[in-house]
Amino acid sequence: MQMTAEHKESKATGPATATRDIYIPSERVAVSGGGTPHVVAKDFSIYYGDFEAVKKVNAEILSKYVTAIIGPSGCGKSTFLRAINRMNDLIPSCHTSGILQFDGEDIYGKLTDEVLLRKKIGMVFQKPNPFPKSIFDNIAYGPRLHGMTDKKQLEEIVERSLRKAALWDEVSDRLERNALGLSGGQQQRLCVARTLAVEPEILLLDEPTSALDPKATAKIEDLIQELRGSYTIMIVTHNMQQASRVSDYTMFFYEGVLVEYAQTAQLFTNPKDRMTEDYITGRFS
Amino acid sequence: MTEEVKNDGQRSSAFVVSPQKRKMQKLAKNAGETLLLGIASFVAIVVLFIFYFVAVDAIPYFQLRGFTEFFTSTGWYPAGEPGEFGALAIIYGSAMVTFGSALLAVPMGIAAAVCLSDILPFSVRQYAKPIIEMLAAIPSVAFGFFALVILAPLLQSNGGPLLMWTWWVLAAPFLLLAVIVAADLLSARFAREENRRKMALLLQSLFGILAVLVLYVVGTKLNAIEIITGTNALNVSIILSFMALPTIVSVAEDALQSVGRELREGSYALGATRAETLLKTVLPAASSGILAAVILGIMRALGETMVVWMASGNSSHIPDPWFNYLEAVRTLTATIAGDMGEADQVTGSARYHVLFAMGLLLLVISFFSNLVSERIVVRQRKILSGQ
Amino acid sequence: MNLGTRKILDNSFTAVGMGSIVVMALALLVVLTPIVYNGVGAVFFTGTIEHRTMLYKEYGRGDSKTIEAQSATADRYRGEAYRMLSGFEAEMEGMTPEASREYRSKYAPVRAAMSSLLGPLPGDPQPMLTRFQYGQTRWEKAEEKLHDILYEKKWDYSDPTVMAKEFYVPRAEAFAGTKLAPLFGYVDKHLADMMQPQFTFYWGFFTDRSLDAHIFGGIWPEIQGTFFLAIGAMLFAFPLGVIAAVYFTEYAKEGFFTSILRSANSTLAGVPSIVFGLFGLAFFINTMKVSESKSVLAGSLTLAIMILPTIIRAAEEAILSVPKTYKEASLGLGSTKWNTIATVILPAALPGIITGGIISLGRAAGETAPIIFTAAVSVGSAIGIADVFSSPTPALSWNIYNLASEHEMASEIRHVQYGMVLSLVSIVLLLNLSAILLRAKISQKLKG
Ligand SMILES: Nc1ncnc2c1ncn2[C@@H]1O[C@H](COP(=O)(O)OP(=O)(O)O)[C@@H](O)[C@H]1O
Ligand SMILES: [Mg+2]
Repeated sequence: MQMTAEHKESKATGPATATRDIYIPSERVAVSGGGTPHVVAKDFSIYYGDFEAVKKVNAEILSKYVTAIIGPSGCGKSTFLRAINRMNDLIPSCHTSGILQFDGEDIYGKLTDEVLLRKKIGMVFQKPNPFPKSIFDNIAYGPRLHGMTDKKQLEEIVERSLRKAALWDEVSDRLERNALGLSGGQQQRLCVARTLAVEPEILLLDEPTSALDPKATAKIEDLIQELRGSYTIMIVTHNMQQASRVSDYTMFFYEGVLVEYAQTAQLFTNPKDRMTEDYITGRFS
Repeated sequence: MTEEVKNDGQRSSAFVVSPQKRKMQKLAKNAGETLLLGIASFVAIVVLFIFYFVAVDAIPYFQLRGFTEFFTSTGWYPAGEPGEFGALAIIYGSAMVTFGSALLAVPMGIAAAVCLSDILPFSVRQYAKPIIEMLAAIPSVAFGFFALVILAPLLQSNGGPLLMWTWWVLAAPFLLLAVIVAADLLSARFAREENRRKMALLLQSLFGILAVLVLYVVGTKLNAIEIITGTNALNVSIILSFMALPTIVSVAEDALQSVGRELREGSYALGATRAETLLKTVLPAASSGILAAVILGIMRALGETMVVWMASGNSSHIPDPWFNYLEAVRTLTATIAGDMGEADQVTGSARYHVLFAMGLLLLVISFFSNLVSERIVVRQRKILSGQ
Repeated sequence: MNLGTRKILDNSFTAVGMGSIVVMALALLVVLTPIVYNGVGAVFFTGTIEHRTMLYKEYGRGDSKTIEAQSATADRYRGEAYRMLSGFEAEMEGMTPEASREYRSKYAPVRAAMSSLLGPLPGDPQPMLTRFQYGQTRWEKAEEKLHDILYEKKWDYSDPTVMAKEFYVPRAEAFAGTKLAPLFGYVDKHLADMMQPQFTFYWGFFTDRSLDAHIFGGIWPEIQGTFFLAIGAMLFAFPLGVIAAVYFTEYAKEGFFTSILRSANSTLAGVPSIVFGLFGLAFFINTMKVSESKSVLAGSLTLAIMILPTIIRAAEEAILSVPKTYKEASLGLGSTKWNTIATVILPAALPGIITGGIISLGRAAGETAPIIFTAAVSVGSAIGIADVFSSPTPALSWNIYNLASEHEMASEIRHVQYGMVLSLVSIVLLLNLSAILLRAKISQKLKG
């Protein structure tokens, strides 16, 4: 990956430097085949009307690792995350400038088919949002969309996805039941499974545990650990313990600016920026 | 990285498609949206068509006969030779029954809306709502049938006593209240602290006797009334008020609900009673929405056909005296419904077109009322959301 | 103001509110009770032998043996009355011209009333109209006719300041000393024997064609016409309305044009129903010529544009109440917008949409004004499904008006009118009730 001068000067100490020199915390293992820039932002800004919610972000998100996004509420975490699979298209006033690339192609390019893009970049939302259908139909929704009709194949995918999401054992005997009957934590894992069933490359998680109790939260965190190495994962969280537990890299946003971006252990133990330090030590919410 | 080199030499990953395909996608999307837009515009087209086709058949009337007769004469003999087309009495009849029904429905509707939104507990409200929905659902011809077959004979045979009892039931509590309040206010104003109680008592008994007198005198007057015909403006006004009520209640209730809890709590916190809170704080805040409710309710009454056709007596004259609700009247809607049967054989005549002129009049009134009520609602929403 | 007064005012304010709701409930009760009570009487009533004979002859229904047996009994008793009539007629022949003339004028109403009670009298030519071929089919009507036979109605004009009062004079006095004198006592005593009253469940009221403009028979043509019109209207309005609602909720960009479209929708909702009738006549029939003159098609189209705004609003509300998260989830899985609408949003909104549809269906069934000039005829038989494009049809709403206001024997067939009103109100209220239940079920289901 070629580095531009502009890149180096940017405020965020992007892992542009880290690409070559991945810091591996003792309990973490490097993932094979990972570490290439999967999503790249260059001077990428996001606006709601005239309001610049995310300001000139320069960063590279590395494949197969878990990247956490932290920052006070309203700082643009969700906005940035949703920009990656163009979920912001739903908001009429929202538009972008600069460059955001996925696999070296412009996400906001003229030729981008956002439907195909979203198939590659799955998303799990803050509140579990299963469809009011059976568990099976929920998981099979994506594969069916993309043209799979064979019952056998669908069953296989459903089982595989549920196993990956560590939900299989709990629901294998009631796949025909309405998904709304599951507990909150189960619903959220179902949503992960549903996303996995379309076989995405990137998994975007926007505060996936904020609506869950501690036990369910722990299960989701375990799940993220399981999936690490197979998917590029980005997780927005307002819980710093969670960020430090599950992620390899952490981005700290403040008022739309990517203030600091570094290996998680480093960012939490030895932040370069005063603002980051204040935030993680709880000076402001 | 999953990249492939396409024939045209362009690099492309999984989510980037060829320009041609993208173009096709865009085209399909635009075509689809245009189609949807076309269907959604159908309603607007229909509205335009309604105005156009009613106007096209209404204008020939005015070309033939001008405006003066229609709006100023009370002579309505469309079948005469030559015909007379004075619609003044008919317009007046419409106004009269509409006003009469509003007089009954507006206070009741607002009171019921307040009751539903602020007074009744949720469990009771659950049962009150279906009542209103059912009242709204009953077909107008069923109301008309009731008015013609049951209410009209009743008014004709027992009109006087009926009026008297209604007067007693409605007026007695209000007069009693007025007595209490007036005595209280006057004694508070003119008596010294220690005498207030006695003064109030005195005034209460004084006013009380006066009130009973009024009740009695008016009551006997009403009792003596003989209603010549049961199919009259009063009958129709009563029934139309039933029909306008559901509209008024539901729209007004929405308006009241949209006034936030904070406002109410602020008032209660100052020691206001519920009635005071509602009358002085909530109702004024919701006033524009309630006005919209009233307009919509009135439109419902003005536009109603079957009840007035069946039970208003269809007599084209201005009652004497002009406020006499016990006389038969005739309305625009009933005239259109009743005369078209005979008129459509002579399509092209003034007799045919004058009915469209009446339709146009109704249409224009309903259009502007709607416009006004819509503006009012939008404005209130803006104010309440603090813009 | 002192606190006591304020409290009283507060309570009376509450009372006014509650009172208004009670008044509404009472209004509903007062309107519905007579309709239900009398409407049921169209189907369950005490029928006479005339009713059974009529059903047998005109509709081929009933057990001929029983009917013959009962007829025979009835005829025995009637024969006696007929003999008195003919005896008196013979007696009059022998009177002086003056006396004869006077008796004749008094006798004519008696004879007419007898004929109305029992059907054509012996020696009368067979009447052309079915209504005169039978006597009274319902017991309460027979009793009314008996009263007509026994008493003469007179008006008391003695007090010129008030309206004249009616009073009744027994006819027997006028015929005292003649051969007719015993008739009144006889008819009074043997009414039941002559009419053979019997509890009747006339289910055919809903399925029979009408006979002689609803003097006899049922209301099937009206029921069928109402269904044709309402369902026809739904066929046009429902798909259009749902698609328009999808556009408004999912595609429309807020702006001048959209606000115009929305205004148009509420304008259409406020157009008086009779104006729809005028429009239907001027546009669908006179301009588009969808049919020669009135037809079910023209009526359905007119009703369709009338209910369109309601359907659009209900569908919009239902779609908006689908949680936004469903949409996000579906799009996030790589679904296209259209696919998301078709597979997630519409299914989730469907119960709400159907609720709105059902209520509109009821509205279309109940409306009269729009079909007066476009689809409704007073008398007519049920039309075939193939005729909907060209034939008008009777319909409940229109025929209630027509029978109650314009029928030449309106007061004689109140039971039919009540039966029609009850049928119409039941159809509409049942539709509404099912909508209410459906809605309750949805909200329960959404809760999980
Ligand atoms: N739909 C929207 N329209 C306008 N402004 C928005 C919208 N969504 C978010 N914002 C604004 O953008 C900023 C970032 O929001 P968001 O990304 O949701 O923050 P976070 O997820 O970090 O809490 C906030 O100031 C917020 O008010
Ligand atoms: Mg957020």
